[in-house]
Amino acid sequence: MLVYTARRFAVAIPVLLAASVLVFLMVDLSGDPLSDLRMQQPPPSPETIAAAEARYYLDRSIPERYWLWMTGIGGNGDIGLLQGKFGPSVRGGPFDIGEQLASGISITIRLVSAAIVMALGLAIVSGVISAMRQYSKLDYTLTFIGFLALAMPTFWLGALIREGGLWFNKTTDTSFFYTIGANSARVSNMTGWEYFLDSAGHLVLPTVTLMLTSYAAWSRYQRTSMLEVLNSDYVRLARAKGVRNSVVVRRHALRTALIPLVTVATIGIVGILEGVVIIETIFQWRGLGYFFIEAVKAKDTFALMAWLMLSGTLVVLANLIADVLYGVLDPRIRYE
Amino acid sequence: MTTTEHKSEGPVAADDEIVLDVQDLNVTFSSEDGPLQAVRGVSYQVRRGEALGIVGESGSGKSVTSMAIMGLLPRTAKVSGSARVLDQEVIGLNDAQISKVRGRRIAMIFQDPLTSLNPVYTIGYQIVEAILTHRKTTKQKARERAIELLDKVGIPNPERRVDQYPHELSGGMRQRVVIAIAMANDPDIIIADEPTTALDVTVQAQVLEALEAARKETGAALVLITHDLGVVAGHVDRVAVMYAGRLVETGTVEDVFYRPRMPYALGLLGSLPRMDEERGARLTPIKGTPPSLLNLPQGCPFAPRCPMVQDVCLSEAPVLTAPEDAEERHEDPLARHLAACHFSDQLAGARPQDLFQATELRGSGPEAVAEEEKDAEAGSGAEQEGDSASSEILLSATDLVKHFPIRSKGILRRKVGEVQAVSGIDLELREHETLALVGESGCGKSTTARLLLQLIKQTSGDVRYKGKPLHTLSEAQMRPLRRDLQLVFQDPFASLDPRMTVWDIIAEPMQIHGRGKEAKQRVGELLDLVGLNPEHGSRYPHEFSGGQRQRIGVARALALNPKVLILDEPVSALDVSIQAGVINLLEDLQDELGLSYLFVSHDLSVVKHIADRVAVMYLGKIVETGTTEQLFSAPAHPYTQALISAIPLPDPVKERTRERIVVTGDVPNPANPPSGCRFRTRCPKFAGELSETERLKCVEEPPVLLDRGTGHQDACHYSKAVELI
Repeated sequence: MLVYTARRFAVAIPVLLAASVLVFLMVDLSGDPLSDLRMQQPPPSPETIAAAEARYYLDRSIPERYWLWMTGIGGNGDIGLLQGKFGPSVRGGPFDIGEQLASGISITIRLVSAAIVMALGLAIVSGVISAMRQYSKLDYTLTFIGFLALAMPTFWLGALIREGGLWFNKTTDTSFFYTIGANSARVSNMTGWEYFLDSAGHLVLPTVTLMLTSYAAWSRYQRTSMLEVLNSDYVRLARAKGVRNSVVVRRHALRTALIPLVTVATIGIVGILEGVVIIETIFQWRGLGYFFIEAVKAKDTFALMAWLMLSGTLVVLANLIADVLYGVLDPRIRYE
Repeated sequence: MTTTEHKSEGPVAADDEIVLDVQDLNVTFSSEDGPLQAVRGVSYQVRRGEALGIVGESGSGKSVTSMAIMGLLPRTAKVSGSARVLDQEVIGLNDAQISKVRGRRIAMIFQDPLTSLNPVYTIGYQIVEAILTHRKTTKQKARERAIELLDKVGIPNPERRVDQYPHELSGGMRQRVVIAIAMANDPDIIIADEPTTALDVTVQAQVLEALEAARKETGAALVLITHDLGVVAGHVDRVAVMYAGRLVETGTVEDVFYRPRMPYALGLLGSLPRMDEERGARLTPIKGTPPSLLNLPQGCPFAPRCPMVQDVCLSEAPVLTAPEDAEERHEDPLARHLAACHFSDQLAGARPQDLFQATELRGSGPEAVAEEEKDAEAGSGAEQEGDSASSEILLSATDLVKHFPIRSKGILRRKVGEVQAVSGIDLELREHETLALVGESGCGKSTTARLLLQLIKQTSGDVRYKGKPLHTLSEAQMRPLRRDLQLVFQDPFASLDPRMTVWDIIAEPMQIHGRGKEAKQRVGELLDLVGLNPEHGSRYPHEFSGGQRQRIGVARALALNPKVLILDEPVSALDVSIQAGVINLLEDLQDELGLSYLFVSHDLSVVKHIADRVAVMYLGKIVETGTTEQLFSAPAHPYTQALISAIPLPDPVKERTRERIVVTGDVPNPANPPSGCRFRTRCPKFAGELSETERLKCVEEPPVLLDRGTGHQDACHYSKAVELI
């Protein structure tokens, strides 16, 4: 198991390296971060432009820039991924990419982890129920809900849920649902418990939105794999041994039926990161999604690359976790 | 809790106690096309320690019956009637109640050992689970018992094996584990549902032995469900024959096999190719196919296929009764010979060939007959040609080798070894002869077939067609030769494109070879030739039964007038009564069209029936070859002897008294075959008869095929012909 995990880990490194090359090339070739400066009226002096180019390392060749971005060797001390520095932002000195990214993560991670946990939990429960009561009214209802959520794009679903929250607040004349931001405006005078409640309250609507699309797909997968396992010979043999039905479902069916879901959920993480960008915009969170949109608007290449590398790392990490989980769930893979 | 009390006084129970009493059991599934009556009014009893065989073809309801008793059918099944296990009714129990009966009173063994065990738990866990479900004992004790059980079913190194996962065990080993699970709580009844169908014959023999051991150990009654009449003949006391959801004949194994009183049972015995009979005797297939269980005929379900059908058969369903002139009067009411036929009295002493026509039923009509005659003439012409050339060698292989690389899992995919699928074999297929290639799964026989067709390229060696080396030809040069070399596949369900009509399927080879214009007329002729109605060309494959589909596969192979047909297990997926028809068809076609067959098979009975010459393969090598006569009358290689011994004969007396040469273990990994003689690890001669010095030769020196006179060759250092049949 240890060897297996180590091997998976070793494979992740070249993947990340390849991702960094792709990220760098795509962002670097897609536009000039100084175009705003060059377009200014009256035109800035060539010296100003040259100084800016030097500041953002645009006077170097592409391979050189990549090397700089990765290692920071030969730079001005503000660059080098391996040293934990993300490079200078075009938004000026006080905007530190690393700092901003960190505060973005701390906000977004709440949303994403809550959504994943809820989506997985609900998908497993409803998938199992659907499979065990195949073609019952309950199965059809869950199927309908699933397809409804699957059919609605995130931005539409998000807007709908937010409007629903606002409508509820308005008709009941309360502020039961929070629809703006990750926390209330003034948090400094809150106690720890109050802060927690405030955060949780703000989480409700965005989490539901983000969760629904993943839940829809995952519950369908869980239903299918559960059905397959329930009809398998080894489940029949377990029953033939005299093991009670509830135990058979838990011990023999569910464990093997979870294996395909691990794959699907891992791939789904990418979708969730996408969804975060949209949902944070709708609910006006200042998390990673907001960071990304702002970076694109400002043509902030280093910020953009930092964001892409971070989400790339998250995806690779999710895959790594999935691989290890595979090994735990399925001995056939472990002993390969 | 009467059941618990019963258990405690278990051994005291009388020997003739009835442990399983099934009365008027009915199972109906609801389907979109209406109710499907899978089991209709089945009644039988089994005594403690007795073995009952339930025989029938697929869809006869034999498995559904036992699943109904176990309460393992899906909710959609409606079960009525009664099944009493030790006087406790088990039909209609809820989950909690039936769980106490399952595993403790009745245990079950399923067909496919590869899917019967949960892949994510160790085999020890799965045996322990069975024990702890019914007994209050410690995990440690249960584990010890699991090891003991593994030892009893013949698994070597049980202490080590107990912690292994199912995928680390071979199919035969896994089936033994399932048997061990069945034994775990000393059940009163063991139901074995086709326990050896998915296994190779030598392994089948071992697993049946383990099953016998389990019976002896637990004293349980055995209900053995199978389609294999040979297995039944050797292992049960009484037989029940099922057809279309009903029992149609029951009696002692001798009564049913030697004095069948129901035309269906008689037909089954007649359609079975037998190793203990002369080659050339034609099989007598039962015409038609089993009825759909959706719209069962009103009268006798067998009437549409029965050669002695009368008006009464179509209107009135016969009940199981004793024939008035039954040869033997049994004291025991359970052993009485019963048959469900209005005319069973007339069947005293009948033989299959008296009742069933040996000849193939063709699409009749004057044109068809004329066509047939024309074909026959053409065929005989070719035959004469063949004779004059003193049977020319059509297809030959010399020192053929095929190794498949094994690659590592990493990105580099380094070659870490190779599977030696075929290691230097020589074959010659002559004009108008049938050469059978025999062996167990993984011996390389299918790879050899594909090599001969150049569907895969050999690692080294020569394949020649009419003396022309094939492996040097390009795809384009090979194409015209493909007309002469055609292939028929094993699985008639997977080998026909479900989205093409039968007409398109058969016409496709002609279109590929630019003969599309001929197709219009030829497809009809071909359908007629293989015994199908030419008007059915516009239908899709799913509208046909397995046997009919295989005929379509044969028609497709014949579309280009080939010289050689490579038949890769062409009948192994078919039921016995259907199989006989296809075998007869293949024999007829060979006579009419002068074809040469390379017949790849694991079934020696079929081979004995159809082949002129036989080559036996083991782990990529040919270990013995000769004419069918030579090989079956005097097998010289221990492996051939073991194979012949392992094929069960459908004859209770012969099967129980014959001399056997038994092999142990499984086929070794072809990536790492044993040194010297590849068979030595399983060889009974090596293990039992040879001295230390003699063995050394087996370990060090690979034996070569040597002629023992008259072309009978074997590759054994110490070969000695034995008479086994």
